[in-house]
Amino acid sequence: MEKTASQKIRLGVFVIIGLTLFVLAVYFIGNKQQMFGKTEQLTAVFNNVAGLQLGNNVRYSGINVGTVRGIEIVNDSTINVEMQIDKSVFSHIKKNAVATIGSDGLVGSVIINIIPGKGIAAPVVPGDFIRSNNRVRTDDMLNTLNVTNQNAARLTADLLKITNDIHHGKGTIGLLLRDSVMAKDLKETIHNLKITSQKTSQTMDNLNRQIAGLDNKDNVIGVLKDTVVGNKIRHVVTNLDSSSQEITKVVANLNATITNIKEGKGALNYLSNDPKLVKQIDSTMTNINQASKKLNENLEALKSNFLFRGYFKKQEKAKKKAAAKQ
Amino acid sequence: MENNSKVATSLQTFLIETGELSYFTARFFKELFNPPFELKEFLRQCYNMGNRSLLLVSVTGFIIGLVFTLQSRPTLEEFGAVSWMPSMVSISIIREIGPIITALICAGRIGSGIGAELGSMRVTEQIDAMEVSGTNPYKYLVVTRILATTVMLPILVFFGDAIAIFGSAMVENIKGNVSFLLYFNQVFDSLQFSDLIPTTFKTFFFGFAIGLVGCYKGYNCKKGTAGVGLAANSAVVYTSMLLFIIDFIAVFVTNIFYG
Repeated sequence: MEKTASQKIRLGVFVIIGLTLFVLAVYFIGNKQQMFGKTEQLTAVFNNVAGLQLGNNVRYSGINVGTVRGIEIVNDSTINVEMQIDKSVFSHIKKNAVATIGSDGLVGSVIINIIPGKGIAAPVVPGDFIRSNNRVRTDDMLNTLNVTNQNAARLTADLLKITNDIHHGKGTIGLLLRDSVMAKDLKETIHNLKITSQKTSQTMDNLNRQIAGLDNKDNVIGVLKDTVVGNKIRHVVTNLDSSSQEITKVVANLNATITNIKEGKGALNYLSNDPKLVKQIDSTMTNINQASKKLNENLEALKSNFLFRGYFKKQEKAKKKAAAKQ
Repeated sequence: MENNSKVATSLQTFLIETGELSYFTARFFKELFNPPFELKEFLRQCYNMGNRSLLLVSVTGFIIGLVFTLQSRPTLEEFGAVSWMPSMVSISIIREIGPIITALICAGRIGSGIGAELGSMRVTEQIDAMEVSGTNPYKYLVVTRILATTVMLPILVFFGDAIAIFGSAMVENIKGNVSFLLYFNQVFDSLQFSDLIPTTFKTFFFGFAIGLVGCYKGYNCKKGTAGVGLAANSAVVYTSMLLFIIDFIAVFVTNIFYG
């Protein structure tokens, strides 16, 4: 009896654990498909759903936010895709959001990506329709690739023709490749260019050397580059500047004086412009000369006079004393 | 001429067995709903078939998950697709490998056990004695066993699946530095109800087939003690074959409903 009770307990534990595993699996799978959370419906309109199936994931900015719950053909170019989206995400999805059909990885299952729109818009409300961008389909890509292939085939055909022409020496490039005279000329030109470049290089070396030599103080530019000399020159130039200003003032004064003289103001104008006065002055000067000669004679006579002889002797003695002191 | 008669005899035997099995099945459903219900015996059989098979199923499941991951890893690494390991392992274990391996193990352990037990009871005339004493041996021996295998096998499969996925996660954790949280997150990311629900229904049929064939072979055992071994052996063989047939039909039907 005891054994039976123990068996029953063990069986009960076994069954409960087994069923718990099943319930957990159901819960986790359902949770991933947004079956137990609060969800609301959102619809996107496509013209091609590219193999989308019920239960495929819906992602908003890369996060799983819901699943596809309905795919309905409205007409030949319109398919409504109903999505069950987590209610808490609705406040983040704006009315200008765009739904696109993509795949989970390179070979993964088809998913819907909701991409946030640009600019400001109101959040979506349950039951809203959002815009969609249709995925580039494989057959569209193959069609484009087909056109590209055709263009590539034409291009290669043209390229083949061009290379044939070049090979046979037709056209400028063909001539360039096939003409031996031109090749010789080109060779010579290149040789000359080589020599020219060598000489240019030498010239440049010389120039560089000379420019480097300008820094030495054994030439004018080298001295000028010396800061002490520079300062002195600056000082001289400043002085010259102030002197030139002074000269300008002097010249201005002279000009004014000369103008005054020319305009007959003062004695100088009278002296320079009146010829009679000049003659009178000349005769006066002659008279003065004569008078001074006579005065000298009178003075010599005075020295000999007994009244003034003592005075002159005193002066000679004083001069001799001063010379002896020196 | 002789070959033709052999084929005809085999065909006749097969048809007879199929007919008898059909009657046997019909009788099960008839007896199932008729009182009295042998609840104690049913629970005892559940314990014997469920609890006592758990260790075997767990060890097998763990090794299957471990080996499956280890064997798949180099190929997936070659393609740079090791990140697909959790989804690949979980889908294949939940959908197919888990149920069929568990069912085959149970067919070997439980099916042969039932065949041998009922066969020995038949040859030792215990079943006849029960009939004489007024007990319905079919109800007491067959219905309880078939019902127990039908109920216990899905639970054993849940255990087997969970332990196999854990074994796989352990390999990924050691060899690929994938955390258990990330592994199980990816497992449930890739699983859908279309993976879990049909496979659960399938396991009920697996359990039913194991119990039914084991009971049929044991209950109709003949030729003395040699027949007991034959009953146990044929119970395993026929059950295994039947499991694959049921699996094929289940996949076929699942594809119709889930595309």
